[in-house]
Amino acid sequence: MLEKIMATEEAITSSNNGFVQNPVGGSNPPALKKKRNLPGTPGKLTNFIFKNIDSSIYADPEAEVIALSPKTLMATNRFLCEICGKGFQRDQNLQLHRRGHNLPWKLKQRTNKEVKKRVYVCPEKTCVHHHPSRALGDLTGIKKHFCRKHGEKKWKCEKCSKRYAVQSDWKAHSKTCGTREYKCDCGTLFSRRDSFITHRAFCDALAEETARVNAVSSIHDLTAGSINYDLTGNPLGPNMAQHFSSIFKPISSNDNQTRQGGVSLWMNQGLAQVSEAMGNNIQEVHQLRSVTSSGAMFGDLFAVSCSQTPPSDHYQLNWPVFGNKILSDAGASQLASVPSLYSSQEQQSHRTAPASMSATALLQKAAQIGATSTDPSFLGSFALKSNANKVQDASKFYGLYGSSPVSTNPASDVESSGNDQISTLNQLQMYPSKRQKIFQSDQDSPSGGQTRDFLGVGVQAICHPSSINGWI
Amino acid sequence: MQSNSSNNNNQPQTSHTSTSRSSDSGEACGGGNKWASKLLSECARAISEKDSSKIHHLLWMLNELASPYGDCDQKLASYFLQALFCKATDSGQRCFKTLATVAEKSHSFDSARKLILKFQEVSPWTTFGHVASNGAILEALDGESKLHIIDISNTLCTQWPTLLEALATRNDETPRLKLTVVVTASIVKSVMKEIGQRMEKFARLMGVPFEFNVISGLNHIGELTKEGLGVREDEAVAINCVGALRRVEVDERNSVIQLLRSLSPRVVTVVEEEADFSSSRYDFVRCFEECLRFYTLYFEMLEESFAPTSNERLMLERECSRNIIRVLACDEENGGGECERREQGIQWSGRLREAFSPVGFSDDVVDDVKALLKRYKAGWALVLAQGDNHESGIYLTWKEEPVVWASAWKP
Repeated sequence: MLEKIMATEEAITSSNNGFVQNPVGGSNPPALKKKRNLPGTPGKLTNFIFKNIDSSIYADPEAEVIALSPKTLMATNRFLCEICGKGFQRDQNLQLHRRGHNLPWKLKQRTNKEVKKRVYVCPEKTCVHHHPSRALGDLTGIKKHFCRKHGEKKWKCEKCSKRYAVQSDWKAHSKTCGTREYKCDCGTLFSRRDSFITHRAFCDALAEETARVNAVSSIHDLTAGSINYDLTGNPLGPNMAQHFSSIFKPISSNDNQTRQGGVSLWMNQGLAQVSEAMGNNIQEVHQLRSVTSSGAMFGDLFAVSCSQTPPSDHYQLNWPVFGNKILSDAGASQLASVPSLYSSQEQQSHRTAPASMSATALLQKAAQIGATSTDPSFLGSFALKSNANKVQDASKFYGLYGSSPVSTNPASDVESSGNDQISTLNQLQMYPSKRQKIFQSDQDSPSGGQTRDFLGVGVQAICHPSSINGWI
Repeated sequence: MQSNSSNNNNQPQTSHTSTSRSSDSGEACGGGNKWASKLLSECARAISEKDSSKIHHLLWMLNELASPYGDCDQKLASYFLQALFCKATDSGQRCFKTLATVAEKSHSFDSARKLILKFQEVSPWTTFGHVASNGAILEALDGESKLHIIDISNTLCTQWPTLLEALATRNDETPRLKLTVVVTASIVKSVMKEIGQRMEKFARLMGVPFEFNVISGLNHIGELTKEGLGVREDEAVAINCVGALRRVEVDERNSVIQLLRSLSPRVVTVVEEEADFSSSRYDFVRCFEECLRFYTLYFEMLEESFAPTSNERLMLERECSRNIIRVLACDEENGGGECERREQGIQWSGRLREAFSPVGFSDDVVDDVKALLKRYKAGWALVLAQGDNHESGIYLTWKEEPVVWASAWKP
């Protein structure tokens, strides 16, 4: 598959006689690229196909190459009204405005004859789009690109203090900031990233996770530094990554769903220290109750249970135990535990834990074999022929992608390396953003039903906004 | 069990003594009554004047009205009463030891973890300092490949996961991190092994080369040495002191600061609670008033942040009661890293300037802290320190009262 793709590439590039330099020389040659969205249709994934490598990432060799200065690119409202001085981004808009002044106006018609296609290069010398072969076809596109990659980040999100150079990017982010949920393996959902990270570090679910991580950690470390997911200029990226994560999300969510008692794992261990003040027990009983009764298993347990009005009878039951006055109260008193309620939960969680392990263990094995996978239509196309030097091949890929900021499909990098490390994908959700920057920005693009269809994987959206306790 | 049934004196505001009354959260603490502080202050004065009959009378009244399960006034009355009683009967040390032992026995990794994580969820009291310190540390150590953070705190390493994540994502070259934790609270010591294991696992998950060490055998911080800490020449050192300096005996604070200086750190982050129990330590009434002021704020904050019947809040309140007894009813010379005599930011700044110069928090860090505060309930704010270009740190304020001070220093 790969060889076929590469052959097609060469065929295309060799016919670009307009651009003598073969792309390998100047910028980083993308040997394996996926078809990108045409500039001008950001955020929408129109067609995601591995087989047909399309030359659209390369500028039309017949097109006229325009190099605008940074000043021009950053300038907005270049078209000024002579009467009132109001500025407009486009000539058309100015013309319409002129009507209001009773000035003669004329809207330019699109000429019927072939318009000479224009492509624009980025003025920044170090940028890959500086090269004419990688020019962008749309004026708005090059403006946004320049601003995003090389511009000052003037717009800042209030909630999370993330910075953007392009106002529309900032607006898009602000809409979704704080609405994103993070899910821990134990089942708890968080709307705050920092709470999620801190929780994760101490969560008991981490213990199982690291068993898997350790198994492939050597390969992981090798690839860790060489993957560059710097995609801020690429609207395609987020969608790509979404696919990959969604392939694997079911696995991790299955883990969680089978481990219904997973949350209680944590609580059970706490309950083991039953000699603590009664409040502990009451809290746990209440939480477990709310878990089983409301079914909102994956809500933020503590917040949900704490914010609900606790059954008052519990408390009155126990407060009297402490009824003696301060001066005679030396300390906490003992309370009988409620073992039966919890032991059943415990058994359940212990039972189901092995089941979840085997699912991922299966995947790991599949990945190591390489050719086989649980999703042949998708993973198969990526199968590297040489399994023996898996790592080598992987790094070859990365070398090719290098640090190209407009690299294609970072998700494919994830995939290839991910074949080796299912565990990293399990952690995609909260994986460091450098490696999955796409996840940060995937809020900018809708996760459409199209993606699911293509993958043939019926993915349940993990994040159910409704069950989240928002202000946490 | 209802205390008002046994009232047969002129009692102020007996309606507040019902223990099963759920707090009208608006009125419970902030409201106009404040009977507790009046009685408590009177009692403190009586003790300092050694007015026996008045002491007895007030202690008895307070005992009738107080309860650790009531509203704010009742709770404050309860815990401060205990301290006053210990002071009057000279039994502070014994009482403190008993309470500490009980608390230690009932703590475990899970209960400690639950407690601190819950607290951090509902209140920025601790996370404020974490975010500010992490920001300063990351900026000061940017570009270094071998980091050594010396963490003198009792925060059970809850500060570090977000820093690890930042290390993993910010740079293309993830640096190595060695974390040496110095613990002084006996309660914390017992759980550090488990904490360490979690941190190691998490660092592996993040892909950050990580080494973890705990130093808990010290009697006090002054015993630290460069070798003991494992500081190597090729490392970039950051020292993180969260609630650490106040645990040093007042007279030894300056020398401890010099000790820190001798470790040649790139940055020292200091986070302390904003209260002065130190300059008034020989004036019981003044110290008492300041203690009452600070803990009233703290209890009110706890009440508004947690659910009414939260067990975590109860644990935190009990911890306060131990600290109150420690400050008010125990003698100075008891070492062991349990001093608890807080000082204000200005006072700490004065000490730190002997060995270090202040580093202001960058705009980015300030923005991060502000964004953090937004994620909590209303009432919290960030205030920059006055004068000299805000270099002496930032304050967390609650209802416009400064409660926590965070700062960064360099040699």
